[in-house]
Amino acid sequence: MTYQSNRGLRGFLAAAALAAAATMPLKAQAEETYNLALLSDFSGPYADIMPILAGGREAVFTWWNETRGKELGVTLNYKNYETRYDAAQVASLWPGIKSELDPIAVVGLGGPDVAALSERLPEDKIPMFMATAAYGFAWQPDAWIFNPRPTYSHESVGFLNWMREQRGGDEPLKVAILASEASPAYVDMAKGIELYAEEHPEEIDLVEVIYTEVQPTDLTGQMRRVVRAGAEVLVIQTNTSIVVAAKRGLQANGANIPIMMSSHNGLPASGGALGGLEQMEGDFEAYGMAIAADEDTPARQFYETLVADYGLEAPWNVVTAMGVSQGLYTVTVIDHAIEANGAEGLTGEMVREALFAKPITTEETHGFLPTLSFTPEAPFPLEGLKVNVGTVKDGKITIAATGVDVPQVEKW
Amino acid sequence: MVYFINDIITGALIGLLYSLVAMGFVVIYRASKVFNFAQGELVIIGGFIVWFTTMQAGLSLWLSIPLSLVLAGLVGYAIERIFLTKLIGESVFSMVMVTVGLLILLRGLVLLVFGPAVRPFPIIFPLKPLFLGDMLIPMNLLIGGIITIVAAVGLSWFFNRTRSGLRMTAVAEDHVVASSMGISVKGSIAFAWVLGAILSTIGAMIFLSGKSLTFLASDIGFAALPVALFAGLESIGGLILAGVIIGIVQSLTTNYLDPLIGGSLGSVVPYIIMLAILLIRPTGLFGWRTIERV
Repeated sequence: MTYQSNRGLRGFLAAAALAAAATMPLKAQAEETYNLALLSDFSGPYADIMPILAGGREAVFTWWNETRGKELGVTLNYKNYETRYDAAQVASLWPGIKSELDPIAVVGLGGPDVAALSERLPEDKIPMFMATAAYGFAWQPDAWIFNPRPTYSHESVGFLNWMREQRGGDEPLKVAILASEASPAYVDMAKGIELYAEEHPEEIDLVEVIYTEVQPTDLTGQMRRVVRAGAEVLVIQTNTSIVVAAKRGLQANGANIPIMMSSHNGLPASGGALGGLEQMEGDFEAYGMAIAADEDTPARQFYETLVADYGLEAPWNVVTAMGVSQGLYTVTVIDHAIEANGAEGLTGEMVREALFAKPITTEETHGFLPTLSFTPEAPFPLEGLKVNVGTVKDGKITIAATGVDVPQVEKW
Repeated sequence: MVYFINDIITGALIGLLYSLVAMGFVVIYRASKVFNFAQGELVIIGGFIVWFTTMQAGLSLWLSIPLSLVLAGLVGYAIERIFLTKLIGESVFSMVMVTVGLLILLRGLVLLVFGPAVRPFPIIFPLKPLFLGDMLIPMNLLIGGIITIVAAVGLSWFFNRTRSGLRMTAVAEDHVVASSMGISVKGSIAFAWVLGAILSTIGAMIFLSGKSLTFLASDIGFAALPVALFAGLESIGGLILAGVIIGIVQSLTTNYLDPLIGGSLGSVVPYIIMLAILLIRPTGLFGWRTIERV
């Protein structure tokens, strides 16, 4: 080989490398845009928390677009659709949403979205990512609707076992439930605990299950039943109005039975509705997500970043945490789908496959969620389930326990 | 046995609260033959007025309660002037449809003006219940029950024994005929709406005292509906009996049947009674039977 030909070859290789190098960033920079449909309730029963939750999830999409999205050459557009937390409204909106946005994923809110779209999404091949805990009635294999948290009943049972351990002794924990038939989700929450209590009488003694309206007239009589039954804890996973009425009913009976709430009706919301967080002293909230307490945690630090740099105005509380965690696991799954399939031509089906292909680590969600390993068997991770417990101490929300194991709950 | 009696008393008092809200239905119906579907919304408007004057404006209860009642009366008057006065002489059906529109409008206005947040409602009646031996009676319901009975006696007397009340009844019979007899139809209907709004505000104070306020509170309008239909839409005195019966049946169902069936039959039972009454006696227990001569 002559010097000339060597030089020619080197020149050719250099030119090819330069061309490749030049085209690669160009390709990465070629902006791909995908749409997300956000289902929201700004005028229904969760209108009070919706602006905060929406603020949390939208700030995450802004953050992702400006960081990872820029690196990958992808922008996620989103649009909120008002559902009034009404399954009929969701069902009637859906064809329009699909034709207007052609979304690669839906970011859902609650039970009505699940009820309305569980049959439609598999046909349309678009996954939906929820913020809430899962529902027993939606616990089916090959799901297209996913929850980062186990069912509400799983979360309750995890908390109740933790509480029994805290109390000590071999006796089962005496538990009362206050639910409502106003929503299938509320009934579902109670049914799951009932089944677990039936199968584990050595752990939980379910002394009362009471159903009431979403704005009860008076619960003094019902709370007297709870007190007479010797309940050690009262589980309320419905709404804040029921928590307030129950609290007043307990106060009228001169009783102070701790109440366990969930994320959507948790300590700040119920405390606010009662006139002050100090009225919730000794009560609990428990869910499979970071507790928005005063402690300096990775989740809190990420929240501060969103506030400082990405326009988040929502306060640091459980509802904001819910919105942020929902946004984070949604963008992480999309991120994984882009890694696996490239930025171009991403579909809802690819996003769903990415969810099963790789766990979403707790680091990826900045500690908002535990590591999530989804499988086609259920709409939520079946293994490694954990709950965190928050309480009010000296008028402030503090973390009572983190990473509490959730026991195996049979399907109901 | 003590608990059983206690459940009966509490149920009767809750029933009397329903009667008070139902009184708003009846007063407006007695004066205009219009069934006001927005009665529950008048309760939340009243609730928000009370909340605003106490929690926002910081007035003492002694000032805020009368002021709230005056403001509620003005709201009732404004509703009648803006939406209903032009319909005088038109079919009752069009007025009823306006109240359906009002229901949606008032709900939207509450959200727009006050926002969706759940708010703590002021403690108007003592939270500490009355103890009678082992029996426990919620104070707000007890005082509310007394107010309801006094209001029912007063309004019955007004509608049946005073010239103004009888004029309002004449208006309900026929706007044109009443007008030709020199009765102010506009004045009568406006007064009924003022009264309806004031009664709803008193109902809101009893219902929400020490609890939380959201637009979900308007559901009490639907809870009061079976009481109004059971009593008969013209009978104010009948509301007391109807409310007590429905309240007791609901309380006993909630406390003794619901635990057995594991559901909320107590929420449904008033509507079952309502449907049964509509089938057996469509005019209700004390409603007027209209005889039409052809």
